[in-house]
Amino acid sequence: MTYVIVEPCIGVKDKGCIEVCPMDCIHGTDDDKMVYINPEDCIDCGGCIPACPVGAIFAEGEVPEEWQHFTQINADYFNGKR
Amino acid sequence: MLAAKQRNPRSYRIVGPQRQIDERETPHPRVDRGELGERLRSWRSTRAGQDPFRRIFGVGGGDPKNCLQLIMRQLPEGAVNADRTAVSDPASMARNIKEVARFLGADVVGITHLDQAYVYSHRARDKTAMGQKAGDPIHLPHRYAICMGFASDYYKFLTNNSRISDADYGLGNNHMIAPTFMLAAYIREMGYPARAHDYARGEVNPIPLAVNAGLGELGRHGMLIHEEYGSRIHLSVVTTDLPLAVDEPVDIGVTEVCKYCMKCARTCPSYSIPFGGKEIYNGVEKYRINVDTCYKYRLAGRGQWTNCVICVSSCCYNKPKAWWHTLAVWSIKRTPIPLRPLLIKPLLWIDDLFWGKRPWRHMKWLDYDNAPVPVTCDIPGCQVKHRDLQHKQLHRPTQAAGGSVS
Repeated sequence: MTYVIVEPCIGVKDKGCIEVCPMDCIHGTDDDKMVYINPEDCIDCGGCIPACPVGAIFAEGEVPEEWQHFTQINADYFNGKR
Repeated sequence: MLAAKQRNPRSYRIVGPQRQIDERETPHPRVDRGELGERLRSWRSTRAGQDPFRRIFGVGGGDPKNCLQLIMRQLPEGAVNADRTAVSDPASMARNIKEVARFLGADVVGITHLDQAYVYSHRARDKTAMGQKAGDPIHLPHRYAICMGFASDYYKFLTNNSRISDADYGLGNNHMIAPTFMLAAYIREMGYPARAHDYARGEVNPIPLAVNAGLGELGRHGMLIHEEYGSRIHLSVVTTDLPLAVDEPVDIGVTEVCKYCMKCARTCPSYSIPFGGKEIYNGVEKYRINVDTCYKYRLAGRGQWTNCVICVSSCCYNKPKAWWHTLAVWSIKRTPIPLRPLLIKPLLWIDDLFWGKRPWRHMKWLDYDNAPVPVTCDIPGCQVKHRDLQHKQLHRPTQAAGGSVS
């Protein structure tokens, strides 16, 4: 399992989650619309959830229906980068 | 006679029937089977070769004949001497056995009845020398458990997490093996069955036995807290039928301190230690840590460390041997329970003031240096600012971990 960042992060990119992630598994560039969780490195601790001011982080199995595709978007971001 | 009316420990409470735990359900065997992910399984089997200390302490790799715990794991158990020493006074024998344990190297020792709830139901590892295979049921009918604690170096643990704290942690694990083996052998040579349970091989969960034996209390972080050494103590057990007087659980104020302190929960990088109250698991009411996230956090070591000891180091009972620490614990112990918060809260404020909210110390030892190093991101193009652990935020009680407890 992993945690997933979904739509509310777009345009916000508070990055508070990066400050608390013990695995440093949240990445992104200045040009990206949001930041992404590397599903291979995430240890499911959930520390990022309360750090997100817009409630954009969910456990993989609890992602709301309308944002389900963000699970793949997060994973795809790291394709070819690992 | 000796079993009658033992005081119950305050730091955990039995509220229902307990099932015996299968050793194969414990973290290391689960990781070896890949149940916590292929990446962690691979890390555990291949993280070797990074440090000679790791190789001699059996953390991985190296020649198995250079590793004490791997050698001791395969040693057969000696025979029980047919010439049995008569025991007329179990209390006197208990005093003698404790003195032998201390002579052999234990820092603290206590005795309790062997509760079968804390004996594993099945073994997780082969022990060919004894003809035992993984999955075999464990039959350990001994009546007593002699619990020993071996303290680690306070200052080396303060280098958490580093190769220095790793080395000291590994030393502690291996340091206990010889004294435990020798105490079991000593009792067998007295004519009574005895078995050593240590880091090399064990058939019991030493923590609840040590709490029952009065070595300390169960902390919020799931480990034993000793009044002098805190949690920087490695536990081993010798089970036996030698008639012994048992000790009683102690009250050193852990119940009240853990309720207000939460320093381990604030500093645990992986949010594995709860801020909330106790939960009931397997018939026991206690604080329940998330063992999965705790173990998986080892992947954050990046080759710089293997074992996280941050909760051990941050515990407010973890202090060097000093009169003021003895006095503080003594004061808590002597204060009536309802009044303890009045004493504990200012003590915790002093603890944060003088020892820091995240106890840590820079140390150079041999060629090791635990100075924080900038995090190098291995994702090409990543521009976010990853901070090293010493510069990450401490957790707040409102930031309860969202991870599922396993």
